[in-house]
Amino acid sequence: MGRVDVTMEVCGMAGDGTIAAGGLLNEAMSAGGFSVLGFDSYPAEIRGFGRCVTRSRVGTERILALVDKTNVLISLDDVQSHSRVPYLAWDAAVFFDSNPPVYVEEEMSLAARVEPGATLFAFPMADLAAAAAGTMRGRNLTALGGFAAAFSVPRDLFIEVIAKKFKAKGSRVLDANIKSFDAGYAYGLEHFSDRLRDTLKPPPGIKTGPEKVMLSGNLAIGRGALDAGLKLYFGYPITPATPIMEYLAARLPEKGGRVVQMEDEISSVGAVLGGFYAGARSMTATSGPGFALMTELITHGVMAEIPAVILNAQRGGPSTGLPTKTEQSDLHAAVFGGPGDSPRIVIAPTDVEECYRHTVMSFQLAEKYQTPVIVLTDFYLDNRVENLPMPQATESEIADANEYPDESVRGAYKRYLMTDSGISPRSIPGTEGFTFSATGLEHVEKGTPNYTEDNHMSMTEKRHRKIAGALEDLPAPVEYSRGGPLDVGVIGWGSTFGAILEAVNIANERGLNVGALKITSIFPFHGGVIRAFMNRCSEVLIPELNYEGQLANLIDHLHHKDVVRLSRATGVPISPSLILKEIETLALAGA
Amino acid sequence: MKTSARDLARKVQGIGEAKTFEVRSSELPTWCPGCGYFGIHHGMNDCIRKLGIPLHKVVTVSGIGCAGRYPFFTKTYGLHTVHGRAVPVATGVKLANPELTVYAVGGDGDGLAIGGGHLPHVCRRDVDINYVLFDNSIYGLTKGQPSPSSPQGMKSKASPMGTTDKPLNPTLLALSYGASFVARLFAGDKKMISDVLLEGTKHRGFALFHIYSTCVTFDKSYKTWENLKKWIHPLPETHDPTDLRQAFDRVLEDDWSVGVIFKREQPE
Repeated sequence: MGRVDVTMEVCGMAGDGTIAAGGLLNEAMSAGGFSVLGFDSYPAEIRGFGRCVTRSRVGTERILALVDKTNVLISLDDVQSHSRVPYLAWDAAVFFDSNPPVYVEEEMSLAARVEPGATLFAFPMADLAAAAAGTMRGRNLTALGGFAAAFSVPRDLFIEVIAKKFKAKGSRVLDANIKSFDAGYAYGLEHFSDRLRDTLKPPPGIKTGPEKVMLSGNLAIGRGALDAGLKLYFGYPITPATPIMEYLAARLPEKGGRVVQMEDEISSVGAVLGGFYAGARSMTATSGPGFALMTELITHGVMAEIPAVILNAQRGGPSTGLPTKTEQSDLHAAVFGGPGDSPRIVIAPTDVEECYRHTVMSFQLAEKYQTPVIVLTDFYLDNRVENLPMPQATESEIADANEYPDESVRGAYKRYLMTDSGISPRSIPGTEGFTFSATGLEHVEKGTPNYTEDNHMSMTEKRHRKIAGALEDLPAPVEYSRGGPLDVGVIGWGSTFGAILEAVNIANERGLNVGALKITSIFPFHGGVIRAFMNRCSEVLIPELNYEGQLANLIDHLHHKDVVRLSRATGVPISPSLILKEIETLALAGA
Repeated sequence: MKTSARDLARKVQGIGEAKTFEVRSSELPTWCPGCGYFGIHHGMNDCIRKLGIPLHKVVTVSGIGCAGRYPFFTKTYGLHTVHGRAVPVATGVKLANPELTVYAVGGDGDGLAIGGGHLPHVCRRDVDINYVLFDNSIYGLTKGQPSPSSPQGMKSKASPMGTTDKPLNPTLLALSYGASFVARLFAGDKKMISDVLLEGTKHRGFALFHIYSTCVTFDKSYKTWENLKKWIHPLPETHDPTDLRQAFDRVLEDDWSVGVIFKREQPE
């Protein structure tokens, strides 16, 4: 089976159907058995003449990251697509409308801008759509038809996903869309050279394993919360976390739960604490600015020992920052944010499947350790789509993890009982004989406020002991290497890890001896495992999408020498090639 | 006003005889002797006793301030949260388990300044929680700064030239925000607090109890017992609490009438 690895883009103006075409493209490639990773970009402005770009990478092996160079550009607007030209591979295939609905000056046409190595597929998309369907609205599908013909993608794959997308809109709309697609497909078969034929034809035997679904990080989070038995969701709209609230608003009521859009992020997390205090699994999702507002109540959850699940979908910051750009710069805020010594659990998934698994896990962690659990994702992870078998939580993964007080202490219940583990059995309001008051003031075992020296010291120790103990339930770092001493060890977290792993794989294929370490438990973290890995590496490299090197700041004391930071504050995902270059530089310097 | 230990003991004994220890805890309240909050405490305890529901089915949620300590002084489940957030936290508690009877308690600084942004939304959301607003028009726990309900011109260490901001009227705000049960009460009238709280607790939907109180330590001139007793009077018997227009008129023309100002009958 030949290795396929193609990066494709659809680019157009808002209103051209760009995002819809990109979505269909991903679905069709997934249906063909390819691994798909897609990520759309759009401007923060809702209306206006915004440029829309969908990017997806498809391949026969699992796609870990997006890459710099685009192999296929399907343009629905010449002028908007100019901006994509620098990203094209030298031998890219470029599809564009030879008679676009909006007149383009000759020197502004896409054909005039691309490099000589590119193959141009010019065809009258709008005219073909109009002739076939009576309207040029399906021109984006005509473009896909031309693409499918040129790359020998079976027509059926597209027809199947088009039918799925449009069947709810009635047979007339569906018919028009299929006709539009077919017009482009027929034109392509007749006119396009067969130079590129077969490049995206699904190889035989590629479809193996269970059926795959196209899932974004945000949807995986919403689905994970539903499967984990979420009862209450409180939230406030904020990019890029809003789709989680919208998904749950549609799905949670049918499971007997509720979604309440609150007046701000403070009340959202406050209601989450109230909900969990009264025994209901509750969560909120936000982004940096909203997370900042939540910090005081998060530390209340730490002090009063109340569970909470808070998802922070990071975006560019500080302040309002770059609302539609990606960044990993809230790690400090998640781990350290807020007043006092306030340990809490912070976990960070690295791909769409982990978005599901970590969300599920967060509810049990919150209950068992009676603490706010912060799940850190970012714009890129939330909005990218991957095709994967639908993840499923097991019964034991969603079981009640509360530890309730023993019958023997009825009437003499101490909410903050001092224990070796730091976990004090928690009673739920409504339970007779175990009333207590929870408080954000320092308190004695019974819960009454107390500011004496020894008490504050021992209660602070208890809270830290409890969180440190959570390590046994947190996912350990995962190493990808041949083992033994390594020239370069690359440590990563969050959405960046896919690019790290791809770079490490390529480096090893090129004969270097390097390894990658994936960290998803940000706090508490597995210091022993991380230290042992670092000590086997001549150089440790930590690439992150932030300027300060926030993970590096957290763990660099574990290494006997300075770690090398590859810190990117660009708002866009890091590419494997950039990491690879750094790995090669470090390996050569050490050789 | 000074209270001797013997007076205090006699008082506590008196309260015990009035069966309030069925609801109040053995923790001694941190309020100053003579504080209006004792009266509110008494009225609330009496109401909860008369409600006839077991104490483990009641949750008292508070913010920060002199009123914030309230949960420690009751035998119900308690949740002492952070400054200004009792109302949203209480919302979460109630939605998690609608069988619980939920009280949110807090002062005028907690509920009208730092937490003022939550009042409109809990009113329009009409979650079935009971919000008891202890209004003494001062920040007592931080020793006497002006609050959002302090009179214009109030002099304090934080406002040596007198304040320039106009006071808020929480009763009027709640009416404007569409609250479905609005009552104004007086800390000096425990019986009325108990009766009206009982009615409001049974009301399906959000209920605001705005209770005028004193700060005997830091307010020597405005809401003193002497003044409040002089100013406060019951609503006229003709007042129809189901008539929103009348409720507005009443509150606009008279700051000191107490009783059930407005009550909207709620569907089952």
